[in-house]
Amino acid sequence: MPPPAGADASAASTSGPDASESPSESLDAVRSQSHAPPETSESLWLRRSVILSFWAVVALLGLPVWWKTTAIYRADLPLPYMTDWADGKICKPVFPLRIAVEAPLALQDAQHLIHTTQHALDDLNEFSAHHLRLMLSDLPAPANASQQVVRDEGPTSDEDTALSIRLIPVETGPTPRSHLQPYSPTLDVYYAANQIPPPSSTGSPLATFIAHELHKIFAEEQALLAYLLSTTSGAHTAKMQSLSPETTAELERQSTRAFKYAPTYHLTFSLFTPSSMPSAWDIESALQQYLSPLLESFAAISNFTVDSQVQLYAGFSPSVREPEYDEALKAWTLRKEDLSGFINAAEWPLSPSIGIGPTVNFVLYVPSESQSPLLVKESGANSWLVPQWGGVLILNPVSMAGQNGSIPTILTKDALSPAMHTFSDQLISLLGLPQTPASLPLRLSTLKRVRAASLLFSASSTLGALARLTRALPSIPIPDTVAKSVDLTTAHLQQACDHLRDGRFQGALEHARIAEAEAEKAFFERSMVGQVYFPDEHKVAVYLPLLGPVAVPLVMAAIKELKSGLSAIRRR
Amino acid sequence: MASDQHKALLFGAAAAVRLLLFTAFPSLPSLLAGRVEVSTPVTSFKRLQEGLFLYTHNVSPYDGGVYHQAPLLLPLFSLLPNPSYHPFATNLLYTMVDLLSAHALMQIADSGQAAVTRLFTSSRKELRWSSVAIAAGFLFNPFTVATCIARSTSALTNLFILTAMAKASQGALITFVLSMAMASYLAMHPVLLFPPLLILCYDVQATNMKAAPHAWRFAVTHLRRLSIALGALLYLSKLLTGSWDFLGATYGVRLLLPDLTPNVGLWWYFFTEMFDSFREFFLGVFWLHVASYMPGLTIRLRKQPLFVAATLTGIFAVFTPYPSIADAALYLSLVPLFRHLFPLMRYTFLASSSILYASFLGPVFYHLWIYAGSGNANFFYAITLVWSLGLSVIVGDSLYAALRDELDVERPELRGKEVKRI
Repeated sequence: MPPPAGADASAASTSGPDASESPSESLDAVRSQSHAPPETSESLWLRRSVILSFWAVVALLGLPVWWKTTAIYRADLPLPYMTDWADGKICKPVFPLRIAVEAPLALQDAQHLIHTTQHALDDLNEFSAHHLRLMLSDLPAPANASQQVVRDEGPTSDEDTALSIRLIPVETGPTPRSHLQPYSPTLDVYYAANQIPPPSSTGSPLATFIAHELHKIFAEEQALLAYLLSTTSGAHTAKMQSLSPETTAELERQSTRAFKYAPTYHLTFSLFTPSSMPSAWDIESALQQYLSPLLESFAAISNFTVDSQVQLYAGFSPSVREPEYDEALKAWTLRKEDLSGFINAAEWPLSPSIGIGPTVNFVLYVPSESQSPLLVKESGANSWLVPQWGGVLILNPVSMAGQNGSIPTILTKDALSPAMHTFSDQLISLLGLPQTPASLPLRLSTLKRVRAASLLFSASSTLGALARLTRALPSIPIPDTVAKSVDLTTAHLQQACDHLRDGRFQGALEHARIAEAEAEKAFFERSMVGQVYFPDEHKVAVYLPLLGPVAVPLVMAAIKELKSGLSAIRRR
Repeated sequence: MASDQHKALLFGAAAAVRLLLFTAFPSLPSLLAGRVEVSTPVTSFKRLQEGLFLYTHNVSPYDGGVYHQAPLLLPLFSLLPNPSYHPFATNLLYTMVDLLSAHALMQIADSGQAAVTRLFTSSRKELRWSSVAIAAGFLFNPFTVATCIARSTSALTNLFILTAMAKASQGALITFVLSMAMASYLAMHPVLLFPPLLILCYDVQATNMKAAPHAWRFAVTHLRRLSIALGALLYLSKLLTGSWDFLGATYGVRLLLPDLTPNVGLWWYFFTEMFDSFREFFLGVFWLHVASYMPGLTIRLRKQPLFVAATLTGIFAVFTPYPSIADAALYLSLVPLFRHLFPLMRYTFLASSSILYASFLGPVFYHLWIYAGSGNANFFYAITLVWSLGLSVIVGDSLYAALRDELDVERPELRGKEVKRI
């Protein structure tokens, strides 16, 4: 809004006192100002000081205000450093695994055995970043010839020991043979006394056997890590081993099925039934018995929150074909292509996300008596997994012991046990736990390493994206919080990388988790994107309507004054 | 003396009208206090009551984010009985405030500084209204009455501004500085009135003492006194509230305009439409725009400082962030002081009709927008534009008249002739 008073004031003040003629004289006045008396020096001074006072406000106050308020604040970001992280130039993740060997042998013999086994193992390994290191368990890691990462030997207790091998001499049975303990990271190797290699020999069947066993145990982990390296960053491809296409396809299938890593997952167990029965289930004790141990073992990687719900009279969605009765199977069948529509997303209260982490849904469906047993037509199975969503199980009343087809009012803990086993399996694959080896702790620690590495990569690439964004859009503001987050991210990434190199995978996972969270926070800072779609031409439209009308009288008055001042000087 | 009788009669009538309105229509005060034209976020009596409640319950009055007025108002109003149950004391206080303002206005009129100053004597100086007539124009101005009934705290600000002018025109230096400090403390922007009024003071002093005091020393001394008075008031407020937080909640709100409640000014609409990234810049531009008139006008109309101060109040009524009809009432009551300029003004009909037009249609359009829902914000904004236009025309026209008047004195041979700008 142009100020009428302002324009009037300045115009009037610049021309008021000197510029008056009677109408009869005005024509003459325009032609020659001979009739107008010369301006007094006082009014000249007055006019100039008025103009000067307006300009002084503009220049002394207006310009600093303009400069201060429209300057885009860009905090300093370590751009080359961030790009280096994204390109993998700073951290090349390595996975040195410590394997402790317990051998009831003389020190010399044991060391020789380890030495030869290490040699055999190194020959087998094609993936340099993933490296198995054998050591005697009761010793503080003496100078081992094959120890490639040479460090000052400190206490080794802070490093994770990935696996321990127990050498057990036996008299009977085929030797050597091995047994992997399912609930502890221990490999028992049975051998005959004569299989200990003599100090002079360079190879022995026992050493080769152990090496092959170890290689087999860690084969999937190596494949997983190699796959991860190949998919996340181009810089790593050079040194990775070649994966067979089948392995790649299988790994890809697994990774698409699994949830993205989150520090907290929310598990929802839902009981759906098309009738009023069963109306209750003993879910709490069932979860306590069947699921809690599993969740506890995951505690080092992720936390879980659990809730459950019962939904009666839950119908199929109308778009799904009703189950058909199959005479051959003597069961109602669902077709495989209809399974995707089985979950009635519109009516069943399965909220996509409660609280922070992603929600994993487990649906237990008890069909009505008239439609049971209900199976999948093609395979005859009664459960399936929905990738990155959860699992579904149809619990047919006939399969409930002792009830003989009629639906019980309450599902007991025992009746739920098959469902709980299925759900546990589904949860394991939804969380991306590898299929092999048979030992759960080993698989968990594999998952830990894989997650740490993937978080490391994703945080690094987020940093790189932020650096590219900063370079590409010089007009966006970068607040201090972003710079702080970036600093935190790089610091934690560095620590995660150090922990990985030193074999402390738990610490690496924790730092990588913080780094990832901070990197996301920096990248998705809200105040940065406000001006992205604000081209410079728009600024004309912002400035001109208001400032134009104000500026015109100011500028004109100044020009006029300058002209008359110059001509006065010239005349003199 | 007849004039004293007139004055007593006038003041009695004005007080009676106010108290009658307060008692005859008990719902009127709260109705008016809710009108956006009368109560702005920085002057509203309802917000004052909220602050008062928090204050009497030993909570910081600024905690709720509702109260934006000066802290020293709180102890004053907490002395009065609760206005919800015993409104009489508050009503009486506001009536007294108006009468004191009228008294100050009469002092200004009596001093004759409007037409005759030390350096300038208007050629039409005999053309003037009596001080009682001018005070009547103030006391029975519907805008003043509405402000008083709504118990807006801008009535207090107006009182201190008028007192400052009165004391300046009498040459009473200490009371001038004190009331100036009080007005600036309450509403911040009146501090811009200080330079012209100081010049007025200087002129009066120079006339009275026959020997002009040293100009710069005079200015510096009084600037220092004003800073001391303001500093004392602010420090007292800090003692009262326990922290300096009140600065952000009072002056910060006036400067940064976080509350975009509609009012009769021009800022609110503009800043609802503003891109966020340019908000600070345009806040700066708008405030500088208000401030930039002061030096220019003071220099140009050096010989008529009272006129500069009066014109500045008109500019405040248009261009400050939270103007209300109280600011317009102040300006419109000061204009009759310059009766001698009226023959020279050209657009009186346009200005007065647009003011009347806006005063009647403003509430209607606001109702259409907010309550009936058949209008939108543009309706009300258009009316505030007309209102501002009317006031601006008066400001601009009177400026023209003042300049023309000076010219007539300078070159008497041109008197009564048409002037033309080149």
